[in-house]
Amino acid sequence: MLRISLYILGLGIFFSSCEKVIDLNLDAAGKKFVIEATMDSRPGSATVLISTTKPFNDLSSFDGVSDATVTIAEEGQAPVILSETSTGIYRAMSISGTPGKLYNLVVKIGNEEFTASCRMPYPVTLDSIFVEEENIFGEKMNIVNVEYTDPLGKGNAYRFIQYVNGNKESTIFVRDDEFSDGNKISARLWYSLEEDEENRINSGDDVAIEMYCIDPAIYKYWNSLDRSATGQTQSASPANPVTNLRGGALGYFSVHYVSSKSIVAP
Amino acid sequence: MHKIGLLSLLTLFLAGTVFAQDKFTISGTIRSKAKGETLIGATIRVADSKTGTSSNEYGFFSVTLARGEYTIEFSAVGMQTKQEKLNLDRNITLDIFLEEIAEDLENVTVYASRKRSLSAPIMGVEKITTNEIRNVPVLFGEKDLLKVVQLMPGVKSAGDGNSGFYVRGGGGDQNLILLDEAPVYNASHLLGFFSTFNSDAVKDMTIYKGGMPAQYGGRLSSVLDIKMNDGNNQDYNVSGGVGLISTKLNLEGPLEKGKSSFLVSGRRTYADLFLKLSNDSSINKNTLYFYDLNAKLNFTLGKKDRLFVSGYFGRDKLGAANIFGLNWGNATATVRWNHIFNSKLFSNTSLIFSNYDYKVSVAAGGNDFDIFSQIRDYNLKQEFQLYAGSRNTIRFGFNAISHRIRPGEIRPSETSYINEQLLQKRYSLENAVFANDTWKVSDKFNLSYGVRLTGFTILGSGDYFAYDDEGNVTDTFSYKRGEVVKTYINAEPRVAASYQLNTLSSLKLSYARNVQNLHLLSNSTSSSPTDKWVASTNVIKPEVSDQYSVGYYRDLGGNEYEFSAEVYYKDMQNQIDYRDGADIYSNSDAVESQLLFGKGRAYGAEFLLRKKMGKLTGWLGYTLSKSERLIEGINNNHWYNARQDRTHDIALVAMYQLNKKWSLSANWVYYTGDAVTFPAGKYVIDGRTVYYFTDRNSYRMPDYHRLDLGATCKLKQTPKFSSELVFSLYNAYGRENAFTINFRDSKENPGQTEAVQVALFKFIPSITYNFKF
Repeated sequence: MLRISLYILGLGIFFSSCEKVIDLNLDAAGKKFVIEATMDSRPGSATVLISTTKPFNDLSSFDGVSDATVTIAEEGQAPVILSETSTGIYRAMSISGTPGKLYNLVVKIGNEEFTASCRMPYPVTLDSIFVEEENIFGEKMNIVNVEYTDPLGKGNAYRFIQYVNGNKESTIFVRDDEFSDGNKISARLWYSLEEDEENRINSGDDVAIEMYCIDPAIYKYWNSLDRSATGQTQSASPANPVTNLRGGALGYFSVHYVSSKSIVAP
Repeated sequence: MHKIGLLSLLTLFLAGTVFAQDKFTISGTIRSKAKGETLIGATIRVADSKTGTSSNEYGFFSVTLARGEYTIEFSAVGMQTKQEKLNLDRNITLDIFLEEIAEDLENVTVYASRKRSLSAPIMGVEKITTNEIRNVPVLFGEKDLLKVVQLMPGVKSAGDGNSGFYVRGGGGDQNLILLDEAPVYNASHLLGFFSTFNSDAVKDMTIYKGGMPAQYGGRLSSVLDIKMNDGNNQDYNVSGGVGLISTKLNLEGPLEKGKSSFLVSGRRTYADLFLKLSNDSSINKNTLYFYDLNAKLNFTLGKKDRLFVSGYFGRDKLGAANIFGLNWGNATATVRWNHIFNSKLFSNTSLIFSNYDYKVSVAAGGNDFDIFSQIRDYNLKQEFQLYAGSRNTIRFGFNAISHRIRPGEIRPSETSYINEQLLQKRYSLENAVFANDTWKVSDKFNLSYGVRLTGFTILGSGDYFAYDDEGNVTDTFSYKRGEVVKTYINAEPRVAASYQLNTLSSLKLSYARNVQNLHLLSNSTSSSPTDKWVASTNVIKPEVSDQYSVGYYRDLGGNEYEFSAEVYYKDMQNQIDYRDGADIYSNSDAVESQLLFGKGRAYGAEFLLRKKMGKLTGWLGYTLSKSERLIEGINNNHWYNARQDRTHDIALVAMYQLNKKWSLSANWVYYTGDAVTFPAGKYVIDGRTVYYFTDRNSYRMPDYHRLDLGATCKLKQTPKFSSELVFSLYNAYGRENAFTINFRDSKENPGQTEAVQVALFKFIPSITYNFKF
């Protein structure tokens, strides 16, 4: 919140600046594996995406990695094998998340092994959402407000995904309860307009908000990704997001509780 | 052990002076006749000899000679030289008043700035005069002494518009900025674009690039010592200026003519007054201003005593209607008492208060809260200057500072969903004892040696922690009020020697150790007022630097040019950096959990050619340097370039007095871009492109260069009123210097990633109108 405000108030508004696309000569590093593993309480939700990093000048696309062995095990239970449904995408129907339980992920690719654990948080759902117009330095914008009640006890973290007419907003919205433990929260999902303003919420738009209850390690992942790996960074030293994967892969393993609400923007 | 050796040397010299009966001392204070201002660094020379001295920072001088007849020459920059013939058969006290050089001389052969001393055993030091600050063109026409300091070799600017600076590869928090002896914690306005110093009231400015004498301490890389005018004690003066961004006004005059005076100087920006003219409530409710106020009183109490009371108050306020507000500022107050014990012993006692705080206000529709942070110092400094004998000047004294830091307090409103959180206050005592002797060993060889002994004591009440390798708290230690948590004791030897090869050139070398106990935690590309000041703790050790330097100095062209070349090597220990993914906004008492520690090294060569006389004056500086860090946990424990590592740094400054009405100025800077971290690849997460980083700071931003032009036109010039118009053009050829480089998916070529450069200022003109009564 503080960070967003500083960015808004920063140079972009007061001083006119110039932007231009430049050519950079960037060396490509050796390939690293990227594992994006998610699961929620619905059967069939367990999905693991495996790909690799690509050189900067290559086409940005998801190049899946096949022939990996992927398993997820609930603590005290036998591991469930996820099978490759399309290149690089591994799924299973027979496992889903139960709040409070610990899950272990094991991915074997060639002779490399990557593991992670994540405990599924207890459900917290949105009390309500509403759209309000905000006025910042003359720019009028519709902002979604989310309301929910944080349970007492530090360690709750949340991620929100905003869909406008089915289009996902690219801004990463994550919150924790470090400053608001146990309270009724009413928070604004601040975002900035893209150059072509395609992500603006207009009157009459269908707005849907998904709320994820996430593990604190995943909050740290999204927070550090947003701060230093999106390419638009205020950080003096960009770095890779803090991952809960062990073994040297990029990405994360998150078991979360999902709920959603939708409204029409007035 | 060093201390005992120094004390015995001291005793020897004191004994020596007692037994030399046929020597007498000439002492006194040297001032400007027109204003009564004391002159710092004025030269007192025995005609036709190499003997002499210079006045100290309060205008006091003392020189001991054998009985006899002498002609003494008193000179200072911009002043007419005065000669006094005297018969020295007893101690003589002289109060000298120098007249200003009349400005209507057609052939201007005045020194633009003070002549540097070839023989003084001090190196890595540059003095900048008010004239140079006035004439160098700057952004928005705001005269800024910090921007002029950045034009010196070895001093690197922190970036476009930023008033932060790095000295010899050190960090931005390793510079001690003193305004009339009070430390200024955040010398920036408006997120770093302007500095907090009102250059009109500045008398003297010196920067020590690491080899500071023992009376200075507390920061590794530099000391920027700024002295304000005392206030004209002869006549009233009103002067000021109206510019594009701000207006300033100075008032000074005598309280009792010749004995006491006052000085008040203020500046305020008014961008927000224009905002208020808007009918749009989203615009007219925004605040955007800063102000500075300097006030000073000085009293002469008899022949031997002087009392100074001064204060500085400055504040910045940024606010976006009812959503967000940022408010920060410094306040300093000092009381100083000069006492002349006798012709050889001068004393200054200072009581200093310094406060820096910031407040962030967030209003989110009923969920309002404030974040408040503060650092407050109470400081007692006592310094004696003993002009013992004709060959030694000894400075000794002590300094005791009490620091109180309130690292962060979150205060919500009644209806807010934010919980109140008060981080524990941090208390510490920084004590130092120092002694330094400047010894004229022979006509050619001068030596300055001294030591500063510092003790940093961390006190309770408070909790301090122990951590594991991942930064998790493993133990908590609670301390009661006043209980000692830990004391760090360090000895900082400072040695410098100069050897005069001939009348035109000299060779100098020095070694200095510096210790720093206050650290600024910052992780943003531009300095932010919300960077945290943190004192050393049981885990954060004092930073230590050892700097070795060698220099060659030569006067050329019959004193018209000064050339210097210095080579340095600096070792830094206990350097701090953030962990990858550190949460810098985390409001936790266990701040060390986000930090990693290691060491640094910096080395380079600095060249400076200064032209000090004639219609054309200025300088050309070039620095070739490297600055690196090795921090455990960063860059796979390999050395990496510090962000401020810039291989080449060139500054060319020229000031030309065209005729009586017009003077022109220009400066051109060029430097290698900062060391930055660029992606080594990319991948997809959650359907978006994410960038992959490997080595830290292994790439370079594009080279930075810029030309600024300025012109001053003198309008009315009568004894009662004078005015001028100052024009400037910042970035005259519109070079787009990269401020940041970002990466994003291309909209024109889907699937391709592009690098986008953001540049800030191009072709910024400004006009300022200055007046003086």
